[in-house]
Amino acid sequence: MHTTKIFIKKNKIGNYLKHAREHYIRDDIYCGFESCDKCTRATSNLSSKHVNKCNLLKNNHYLILDTNVILDQIDVLDENVIGNVIILNTVLKEVKHRNMPIYKRLISIIENPSRHFYIFVNDFNKGTYLKQELTELINDYNDRCIRKACSWYIEHIPDETFVLLTEDKNNRAIAQQEDIPAYSIVEYVQNLTANENLIDKLAKKEFQEKFNAADIFPPHLTIVEIDKGIKDGRLHQGTFRASRDNFLEGSVNIQSFEEDVILRGYSNLNRVIDGDVVAIEVFQKDQWVSPSELVLEDDTVNALDDNLERKELEISKQRTSKKNIKPTGRVVGIIKRKWRQYCGILQEGSAAVYHLFLPADRKIPKIRIETRQAETLKTQKIIVAIDSWPRNSRYPNGHFVRALGKIGDMKTENEVILLEHDVPHSQFSEEVLSCLPKLPWLITEEDEKVRVDLRGIDICSVDPPGCTDIDDALHCRPISDDKLEVGVHIADVSHFIRPYTALDTEAASRSTTVYLVNKRIDMVPDLLSSNLCSLRGGEERFAFSCIWEMDHNANILNTKFHKSIIKSKRAMTYEEAQLTIDDKTQTGSLAESLRNLNKLAKFLKKRRMDNGALVLASPEVKIMMDSETHDPIDVEVKKLFETNSMVEEFMLLANISVAEKILNDFPDCAVLRRHPEPPALNLEPLVKAGKHLGFEINIESGKKLAESLDQATRDDNPYLNTMLRILATRCMLQAVYFASGTFQKHEFFHYGLAVPLYTHFTSPIRRYADILVHRLLAVSCGADATYPDLMEKKKTAELCQNMNYRHRMAQYAGRASVALNTHLFFRGKIQDEKGYILYVRKNALQVLIPKYGLESTLYLGKKDEKLDIFTYNEEDQTQRCADVVFHAFDPVTIRLSMDSKNIQHEKFVLQLVFPVIEGFSVPPLEDVEMPEPEIPHKKRKK
Amino acid sequence: MSRKELISKVGLRLDGRRADELRRIRCKLGVFSEPDGSAYIEQGLTKVLAAVYGPHQVRGNRLKAQADAVIINCQFSMAVFSTSERKKRPRGDRKSTELSLHLRQALIAAIEVEKYPWSQIDVYVEVLHADGGIFPACVNAATLALIDAGIPIKEYVCACTASIANNNQAMVDISHEEEILGGPTLTIVALPMSEKIVLMEMSQRFHLDHLKSVLEKALEGCKNTKNILDQAVQNHIVDVGASTGWASTGEKVKR
Amino acid sequence: MTLSEAEKTFILHGVQENFRIDGRNRDDYRPMELETSIITHAFGSARLRLANTDVVVTVKVEIDVPFPDRPLEGKMEFFIDCSANATPDFEGRGGENLATEISNTLTAAYSSNSVFDYTKLCILKGRKCWKIYVDILILECGGNLYDAISIAVKAALWNTSIPLVKSVTIDGNNVDMNVSENLSDCIKLDISAAPLMVTLCKIGDHCVVDPTSAEEQCSQGAIVVAISKGKFSTVFQTGGGSLHPLTLMEKLKLGAKVGNRLEEALSEALSKIKENGEMGFLN
Repeated sequence: MHTTKIFIKKNKIGNYLKHAREHYIRDDIYCGFESCDKCTRATSNLSSKHVNKCNLLKNNHYLILDTNVILDQIDVLDENVIGNVIILNTVLKEVKHRNMPIYKRLISIIENPSRHFYIFVNDFNKGTYLKQELTELINDYNDRCIRKACSWYIEHIPDETFVLLTEDKNNRAIAQQEDIPAYSIVEYVQNLTANENLIDKLAKKEFQEKFNAADIFPPHLTIVEIDKGIKDGRLHQGTFRASRDNFLEGSVNIQSFEEDVILRGYSNLNRVIDGDVVAIEVFQKDQWVSPSELVLEDDTVNALDDNLERKELEISKQRTSKKNIKPTGRVVGIIKRKWRQYCGILQEGSAAVYHLFLPADRKIPKIRIETRQAETLKTQKIIVAIDSWPRNSRYPNGHFVRALGKIGDMKTENEVILLEHDVPHSQFSEEVLSCLPKLPWLITEEDEKVRVDLRGIDICSVDPPGCTDIDDALHCRPISDDKLEVGVHIADVSHFIRPYTALDTEAASRSTTVYLVNKRIDMVPDLLSSNLCSLRGGEERFAFSCIWEMDHNANILNTKFHKSIIKSKRAMTYEEAQLTIDDKTQTGSLAESLRNLNKLAKFLKKRRMDNGALVLASPEVKIMMDSETHDPIDVEVKKLFETNSMVEEFMLLANISVAEKILNDFPDCAVLRRHPEPPALNLEPLVKAGKHLGFEINIESGKKLAESLDQATRDDNPYLNTMLRILATRCMLQAVYFASGTFQKHEFFHYGLAVPLYTHFTSPIRRYADILVHRLLAVSCGADATYPDLMEKKKTAELCQNMNYRHRMAQYAGRASVALNTHLFFRGKIQDEKGYILYVRKNALQVLIPKYGLESTLYLGKKDEKLDIFTYNEEDQTQRCADVVFHAFDPVTIRLSMDSKNIQHEKFVLQLVFPVIEGFSVPPLEDVEMPEPEIPHKKRKK
Repeated sequence: MSRKELISKVGLRLDGRRADELRRIRCKLGVFSEPDGSAYIEQGLTKVLAAVYGPHQVRGNRLKAQADAVIINCQFSMAVFSTSERKKRPRGDRKSTELSLHLRQALIAAIEVEKYPWSQIDVYVEVLHADGGIFPACVNAATLALIDAGIPIKEYVCACTASIANNNQAMVDISHEEEILGGPTLTIVALPMSEKIVLMEMSQRFHLDHLKSVLEKALEGCKNTKNILDQAVQNHIVDVGASTGWASTGEKVKR
Repeated sequence: MTLSEAEKTFILHGVQENFRIDGRNRDDYRPMELETSIITHAFGSARLRLANTDVVVTVKVEIDVPFPDRPLEGKMEFFIDCSANATPDFEGRGGENLATEISNTLTAAYSSNSVFDYTKLCILKGRKCWKIYVDILILECGGNLYDAISIAVKAALWNTSIPLVKSVTIDGNNVDMNVSENLSDCIKLDISAAPLMVTLCKIGDHCVVDPTSAEEQCSQGAIVVAISKGKFSTVFQTGGGSLHPLTLMEKLKLGAKVGNRLEEALSEALSKIKENGEMGFLN
C-alpha cells in the first residue's frame, strides 16, 4: 500500500511551497512476539520469561508508553525493573525530535537485550497506520496512532495483556472507552511490587502538597511572544551565567551590549538556572545597579519553605555606587533549558519525605526532591535531575537518580569530578574488548615485510618516572661526517585501532586520556595503552617513525615517514637521561646519541624562540600520594631537566613535519591544531600589569610579545618574570583541533608556537587526534588505505569538535582533581608560606603560592566589612596601609589554613604574616621553617 | 550525529522502504496519439512522459544524415511546475542540455541504429513531477516509448540510482528527500540482461570502499526495473491485441 | 502533416453541409475529459483532454510586491510551455511564438477586476501580495488550443487553495506575516467570472467551433472570443483572411451562445469532480 503526505512549508526566501512525500505502508512488520504466527519473523527482545508485577493488573502484561512518559521518566525506565515494553515508532520519532540525549538513553535501553524493549514500527504497518485528518492537530494524531497500536496488539495477540501508560488524562479516558487498559506512570509505579527505589526516581512536575500554593514567580512568556519581542528589539537572547558567590545574582551576555547584563533578585532571575538560554528585558538606565560584592548563600533548610523575602531584602539593602553601574535586567522567558544531572548531597535538617538537595556546583540552586531513603542517602554523594520549576515553588522540583558512594571517599569524589566534567569513564564494554588482539601477540612475517626493521638501532624513550603509556622514543646516529640521522618513533596505535570497530568508536568518543591525581581514565583499554602500544624498553613494538637527515646545526635536509618495528634499548626517566648526558664517563652509543639529540634540540629551541614562540608558564605541581592509604602526603613543584626540553623539541618538530605532510596530501580533511591570536582586549590586563611595573608589553605580534616578556625582568624579584608569564598564559585563547577544509589558510597559524602549521602526532595512546593523524599519514606514505569517513570534511570537523570539548573537560577535571587533593592535604594543617601578589583588588589581594601552585584570596579585612586601614588606589592598583604598600607581584608571607565548615566547598583561609601590619597581620609560626620558594618551571604550550 | 539517519534503527527508510526496495513503479504505453510512440511512467512521485517521433527524414540540416546509422535526437525538458519551487524555464539550461546528451548516449546503446540509415528518431521526455531519480525515470520512459513506437532495440535499457545511508549501507532508488539529506548519489544506465553498464554518473565523490556495493545495488535496481517494464509491455500488448482480436485466446503473448 | 487540395475540399464541403468529417455539427464540441488535483505539489492543477488535444495547467503562488500603480491588487502571470512531445516543431525554442501569443491572449482575457478579483490577492497595501503563476503545459495538439487551455485554466483556478495569512505585522520596513502551514486553513479563489474562450473558425462561408487540426488548416481565419458571465472580456482575430463586419457580428453572437453553453457544461462537470480520483496518465 502506498499513500502520499502533502504539506506546506516556508522556504529560505520566505515563499510557501507545497511538498509531497511518499509513505509506504507495509504488511511485513513484525509484532515482536515469539508466539505470533501471523507476522514475518525478525529479532525481538520481548520475552515471555520477564514478568512485570503490578497490583493494578492481575497478570503479566506488556507496556506501551506515550512520548511524555519517556521524556519525563527516563530515569525510571533506566532501572532494571520494568521490562517487556513496546516502543512505538511514532513515539520514538517524537522523542528523538524533542530531546536527543533522552533519545540516546532510550536507544541504549532498547539495545540491551536483557531489558526486553522492542520497537514496533506502527506508522508503516498496514494494521496500525492512520491518516492524519486535515484539521487534526499533530498531538491528537499521535495519541490516536498510539491508541490504534494498542488496540491492534490487543486484537493481534489476544492471549496477552497490553497496558498503555500515559500522563494525559484525556488520552487515558478515550483509551478506556476503546477498551484499552490505561494508567498513569505514577499510578503504575506506585503499585509495582518491589518499587521502593523506583518511586524516588519518578519525575515530579508538581508536589502534591503544593498544588494550591500561591504563585511567587512572574510567568514566562511563550515562545511566540519571545520571538516577537526579540524581533522588535524589546527583548534579548543570551546564555545565563549564575554568580558563584551570590545565589541571587547572575549575568547574561547579549550581542547588543558590550557588557554583561546583570540580573538580580528572585523575580528578576525568575527560575533561570546556569547555562539556560533565556530572553531578557533590559531596564531603564536609572534602575541599573553595580555588581554586588556580597557573598550570599541560600541557607534555607526547610524544603517546603517558599518564603522569598528575607534574602531579597538583604540584597536590596546593598548600596549601589553610581560609578560602577552596569546594564541590569530581568528574565522574561526561557528559550532553552540546559538542565543536566547534578552531583551533590542531601541537605540535613528536613524531616518527612521532602528534602533539599545541595548541588556540588555552586551555580546551581538547591533542588527539592522526594525520597524515603533519606537516612541512607544522607552520607552519600547523589545524583539528582531537575524536572520542573513551577511558578509557585521557590525551588526547582527534581528526583533522585542514583547514589555515587560515601561522602569524602576518594572514589566517590573522583566519580563526582568525572561526572561533573562529562568524562566517559565506564568500563570498556565486551564489544570493545573483543576488538583487541589476542595474547600472546607476535610479530608475523607479514608484518616484517611491510615495515622497516629498526630493531638494530639504538632507540630509547625518555619519560617522567612511573610512566606506563610510553608513546614516543628517539634515536640519533651519524650517517656521515656532517650528517646525522634523527628518528622520532611513535607507538603505532592506528595499527590496532581500526576504523568502524567498537574500539574506534569508543576511543573517538573518549578522545583523550584523563589524568586525575591518583587515577588515569584511559582512552584505550589497558592492554594497548600499557602494553602493546607502549614502547617499553627491550620489547619489540610497532612504531610510526619520522626520520630526518640533519646537519650539525639542526637544519633538516630530508624527511621521511614510515611504519617500522623497533626495540627500545631502554626506557629512561628525564632524570636518568640527564645523568647519562652529564656523566662524561659514559661513552656508549646511547649516551652519544642522547648528547647529539640534546645539542640539536638547543639549536631547534633557539630557532623557535627567534621566530617568536611564547614561553608561557603555569604553576604545576605534583602531589605525592601515600601508596597505602592513597592520601596525599606532600605537594611539590614538578622538577624540570634539560632533557624535558630535548624531548619536547623533537616532538614539536615531528608534529610540524607531519602537519605539513598531511596538509599537502589532504588539503580538505587533514586534522590540524590552530591557536588563534588573542584579541587585544584579552591582553589588556597583561599590558596594564606591565605598565604598573614600568615595563612596556608590546602585543603587536607574538614575536613582539615574546621579546617584551623576555625583557621584563627585575633582579630584586626573580619570580616576577614568571608571574608575568602566568598572566600572559591566562590571556591566551585555547588551541583547537580543526579539519583543514573548514578554515582559511591564514587561520591555521599556531600563535603560541609561532608556526604556520601544527598538529598532534606524538601521543596516539592518549589522544584521538593523533590516531586520526596517524591514519592520514599512513595513507600518505602508502602504508594503509583510506576509509570513507576519513575523507569526509564534515565528519572530521565533527570529530574535532568532540575532541576539543573532551580535551577542555579533561583539563578542567585534572585541575579539579589537583584542587581536591591539595585540599585534602591541607585539611587540619596550618602553615606559613611565601607567596606573591597576583592582582590587587578593591578589598582583597589575590595571592599565588608557588610551592603548591595555589592561588587564593587574602581579604583585607573581614568579609563584607571593609577595614579602613587600607586605602585602595585604583589608578596604580595598590593597597596602602600606613607605610606598607602592596603592589602587584610583591612578595608576601601568608599563613595557610583550611576552612572545612562546608563539606562540599572547603576553602583556604589566608592571613598575612609579612610585611607586618599592626592589628592585621599575625605573628609567624615559630616551628615552621620558611623555605625559599622554588621557582616553578617554565612550560611551553604544546 | 548531526546528519539525519536515512535508515532507521529498525531498517526502514524515511518513506518506509527497505534499503533494497524500489519505489512503486507504474507505467503505461501509448498515452498519446500524435507521436509514433509514447509512454508515461511514475517512479514513486517522479512522473515522466516520453514521446518518440520517427524514424523519419532528417529534419533541418540534411547534411547531418549518416549513411550507417540513424540519428538519435533527444530533448530533456522539465515542466516549470515539476519541482516544489517553481522553475524559471523548462529547458535550455545547462542541466537539461547535459541530461539530453546523457539520454542520447543511453539510447544509442540500446537502439539498433544501423537499421535506419539516413533517418532520424526524435525522443522527447517531459518531467511532470521531480521527486528524485529524474534521469532514470526519463530513460525508462524513453525505453517504453521506443517499444511503443516499434523501434527495434537490442534489449531494455534501464536506469536506477543508489546511494549510501548512515555511512555504510547501500540503498537503491533515491527519493528527493534522501537526495537532499544524504550523501553522494550514483546513477547508472544499464543493459540489465547482458549486465552491461552504459552510463554512470556520480553526484559527488564516493569512497572506493563504498562504490562496489552501491554499484551492485544500482545494477540490481536496473534489473528489477526491467522486470516491471517488461510486465507492463506484455500487458500492453495483450490489451492492444485484445482490442484487435488477435489475442482473444487470452494467452500471454511472448515477446 | 499537410493536407492535399482534395482533402481540404472534402472538409470544406462537410462544413457547408453541417456534417463535419468526424460527424459533428458546426457548433458541436468533441468529447472532453477533465481532471483536477493531478499535480500534488501545486496549489491547484487540472488536466484537460479534448479529443487529442492535451493540456496540463498548474497554479503556484508566491509572495510578491504589488505594482506601484495598483497597490491593492495581487498579480497573475501565465506561462505557456509547448512541449516537444506535442510536435517536433516545438523542439528547442520552436514553440515560443505560439506560447507568447497564447499568454498574451490569456493576460488580456484576465486583465480586468470584474473577471478575476485581484484585490483578494492583496495582503498588505502596496507592500505584499500573492502572485499567482498559471503554468500551462501543452502535451499534444489536436486543434482548438485556446478553448482547451481556457477551460483547463479555469478548472485549475477553481481547484486552487491559497495558504491563509493569519496576521500581518509591520515593523518599520519589515513586514512580518504569519501564514498558516496547515492545509485545512487554505482559502479558495472565486472563479465564477473567469472567462472561457471560444474559437470560431471560418471555413468557406461558415464558422465552426472546436476545429480539429485538419480543419484549422482549411481555415481562412478565426476569431477567438473570451466570454465572462455572458460578456466579452476579449476578442481577437487570428490567422490570415478578412471578415465582413456583418459576419463578425454574427460570429460574436454565436460565440456568446457557445460560450454560455460551455460555461454551463464546465460548472456541471466541476461539481461532479471528486477529490483524490488519482488517475492521471495511467488511465
